[in-house]
Amino acid sequence: MSLSRRNFVIATSVAAAGSTLLSACSSGNAGGGGGKTPNAGATEYTGAKVTIGTAEDSTGPAPEIPGAKKGGTIHGLAPDDFSHLDPQRIYYAYNSTVALLLHRCLTGYKIDSSGKQKLVGDLATDTGTASDDNKTWTFTLKEGLKWEDGSELTVEDVRHGFERSWATFITEGADYAQRALTGKGGKWRDAYEGPYDGKHLDAIVIDKAKRTITFKLAEPKPDFNFTLAMHSYAAVPVKLDTKEKYDKKPVACGPYKIKAHTTDKSMVLVRNKHWDPKTDSIRNAYPDGFEFRFGVETLDSTDRIIASQGTDAYAVSIYKGVPAERIQKVLSDPELKKRTFNGLLTGTYFYWINTKRVTDLKVRQALIHAWPLQQIRQIYGGPSSGEIATSVLSPDIIGYEKFDVYGKLKKPQGDPEAAKKLLKEAGKEGQKIVYAFPQDPTYNKTKVVIENALKAAGFTPVIKPIDSTSYYDQVQQIDNSFDVMWGGWSPDWPTAYTMIQPLLDGDAIGNGKNNVSQTDVDWIDEGIKKNAVIPDQEEAGKAWAALDKRIMEEVAPMIPEMYQRRFYVYGDKVGGAQFDPNFSATLLYKTFVKA
Amino acid sequence: MFRFLVRRTLGAAVILLIISALVFVLFYAAPRDPARIACGKVCTPETLELVRKNLGIADPLPVQYWEWLKGLFVGRDYTSFGRCDAPCLGYSFQNREPVLDTILDRFPTTLSLAIGSSVVYLIFGIGTGMLAAVKQGKALDKIASSASLIASSMQIYVVGVLATYLLVDQWHLLDRANYTPFTDNPAQWAQGLLVPWLVLSLIWTANYTRMTRSQMVEALSEDYVRTARAKGLSRRTVFFRFAWRGAMGPIITIFGLDLGMLLGGAIITESTFSLQGLGMLSVKAVSTNDLPMLLGVVLVAAGAIVVFNIIVDAVYALIDPRVRLA
Repeated sequence: MSLSRRNFVIATSVAAAGSTLLSACSSGNAGGGGGKTPNAGATEYTGAKVTIGTAEDSTGPAPEIPGAKKGGTIHGLAPDDFSHLDPQRIYYAYNSTVALLLHRCLTGYKIDSSGKQKLVGDLATDTGTASDDNKTWTFTLKEGLKWEDGSELTVEDVRHGFERSWATFITEGADYAQRALTGKGGKWRDAYEGPYDGKHLDAIVIDKAKRTITFKLAEPKPDFNFTLAMHSYAAVPVKLDTKEKYDKKPVACGPYKIKAHTTDKSMVLVRNKHWDPKTDSIRNAYPDGFEFRFGVETLDSTDRIIASQGTDAYAVSIYKGVPAERIQKVLSDPELKKRTFNGLLTGTYFYWINTKRVTDLKVRQALIHAWPLQQIRQIYGGPSSGEIATSVLSPDIIGYEKFDVYGKLKKPQGDPEAAKKLLKEAGKEGQKIVYAFPQDPTYNKTKVVIENALKAAGFTPVIKPIDSTSYYDQVQQIDNSFDVMWGGWSPDWPTAYTMIQPLLDGDAIGNGKNNVSQTDVDWIDEGIKKNAVIPDQEEAGKAWAALDKRIMEEVAPMIPEMYQRRFYVYGDKVGGAQFDPNFSATLLYKTFVKA
Repeated sequence: MFRFLVRRTLGAAVILLIISALVFVLFYAAPRDPARIACGKVCTPETLELVRKNLGIADPLPVQYWEWLKGLFVGRDYTSFGRCDAPCLGYSFQNREPVLDTILDRFPTTLSLAIGSSVVYLIFGIGTGMLAAVKQGKALDKIASSASLIASSMQIYVVGVLATYLLVDQWHLLDRANYTPFTDNPAQWAQGLLVPWLVLSLIWTANYTRMTRSQMVEALSEDYVRTARAKGLSRRTVFFRFAWRGAMGPIITIFGLDLGMLLGGAIITESTFSLQGLGMLSVKAVSTNDLPMLLGVVLVAAGAIVVFNIIVDAVYALIDPRVRLA
């Protein structure tokens, strides 16, 4: 998951090692197939349906997978090594795929075979107790938790995982908890200097006897227990912390530990015999170990897994989906298709409309009517590349409701007549629209259908391709000269606040900030404040969905494009392979070696 | 000879110094910020400053370059990585390991690829070229010449993928390209590299065939060869002791440069076969704005070319008595 698309783009460039920056974010790479992909992969998707589990749900062991057995080795292939293993330095999704095997947080997601998720206690006995108007959160640690050396995992270790985020060598992790604990916003580092000189953070209180840890937040955070499921907040043993060297050899409390690791080449994981499945309701851990090989380009790894020879029969692609070049082959061969799984990425792709330049609501609505979503999806690879989006919120968000204010599902090819009518009513026929997009083979193609659709709807399009490496820097300038801009957003956890606030709150307008449409509407800001403190997440979800719909109806600040889909293929001796709805990768801890 | 070597080594050091300075300047001339990647997803200005300090890039460019140079001789201390002993090429921004360690880890792969393929393409290239020269104008010459023309216009990323598909995936004749250290298991080392060797040498063999043929044809028509023949020396002696020796000079020069280039990393070959050598390392260093790694790889690559240039010049003198080292 990622907070900022801009940063996600940079992350992808690291992971893609040399490929065009944005291609990895585009459907073209994720699941596209050049326009002729059979419809076979498309399924009606209703979201990951995240709910909050009980203490019983949090109690291990994880439910057995039918037919699974222990033993063997699963081989993982990836183009790039994980950039970080120190949990506090983990934020990018691809690092979390291995972190799930090694590290544990207070909370985590229990995922069933259909992809539905429950937030449960991982190290904690449940998902925590909020009090003081959601400003105080208390968690109790499970019994029998141990580190890989057999020493006990204590509440001090959990606290240490938070406090070491302040160390100067840690600059890559999430900062939600630091902001919430200090109330100092982006200046959270000023409040504390880290645990290495023996000082502790006042806002975290531990009780060793009761094994409780209490967070005293500066502001109400009803979804703080979701924040704590991020690997940036995993526990680290106080006694075994090697500071900056921890990134190379972290200490595991999950079902596996690192036996060997040659950076950028290979990694071998073996069982952590001190991990007790009774303490873990999330992970199955059937294989005796994992062997990862890095530096294998995605096309190569896909071909190897398709061929399934030798150890490749036991192989999965860790975090890279089937590339566009192979999607047709994979989906049109019934035998091969049995060896695939797929899922939607966590976020929404859309086009921001600059409300400071396109001030007339009717013109913005006309743009939405005019937009040729079907043609765009065809370029991305057809229906298998994802679902057409109609809302700001993605299907993974709690409370997500499917609505279609502008009839885009009925007329995905665009409705130039409806657009023309609105333009006429607004007296803006022939209005100039500057469309900006990152230069990339895929978006160079979609630009053509967008330009044609705008012309057909009575606009005068001006096309502005922008260098992909500086794209977000340019569109995030508030005085930019663009009317419509390609973009996307992935949330860090599945509550609507993580999408609506950064994208549409008046406070999020500014250079380098993410309210690129520069939507500054009082009732939206008030709605965000009100919904953010509704304690019950199901109830909050309904309120957010209503706000989402009202925003699309009355403000129309963006043109939703796609909820993108990604396909994976796995070796013919691999069982239990399924999509990780949080990190859009292979859910390694559910895999097993077939007999 | 000794004076020659000392002079050339000093010259090489100056060249490498200039190259390193150029890489430094060019790297910063591009509008990109290596700190931005290491800064992670929530990059506040304060964090960005912290990252710059951690990476040792907060100082002005000349100071940074001086620190880097100093590190080569006396080592360097980093706040976020710890001590880097001399000769310190710096810490990689990307994998946070000493650059020299990574290069030493990758070099054997590149070396194996270069040496193995060189042996194959030298034997077959020079052999076929000589045959073609002997049989000049005949069927064998024509076949060899056209085959080498076709082979030399092929691209590794096409032939490599094709060879893997046919030889490995379809016919199961050879192993998929992978690297096992020679010291671990020589048989596996050779098996794993056989496909890349064959592919790389297919293209290079063609080049050497063409080059050897033309050099030999030229040498065979030289006056001294005619004189040798006129003196009644045997055909074999004339061919090997006179013509061949004369033709080898330019080939050795080219081979020295080629080998130097290969040792700097065969980027396309390594990428095609997913082999983790210096070529792949340099691609990654560029794509991730990893200046220390980039500098390290460029220096090794440049160093290999410079060193082989010196070797070639020295060997040239041994082969060709007309050249004397001053």
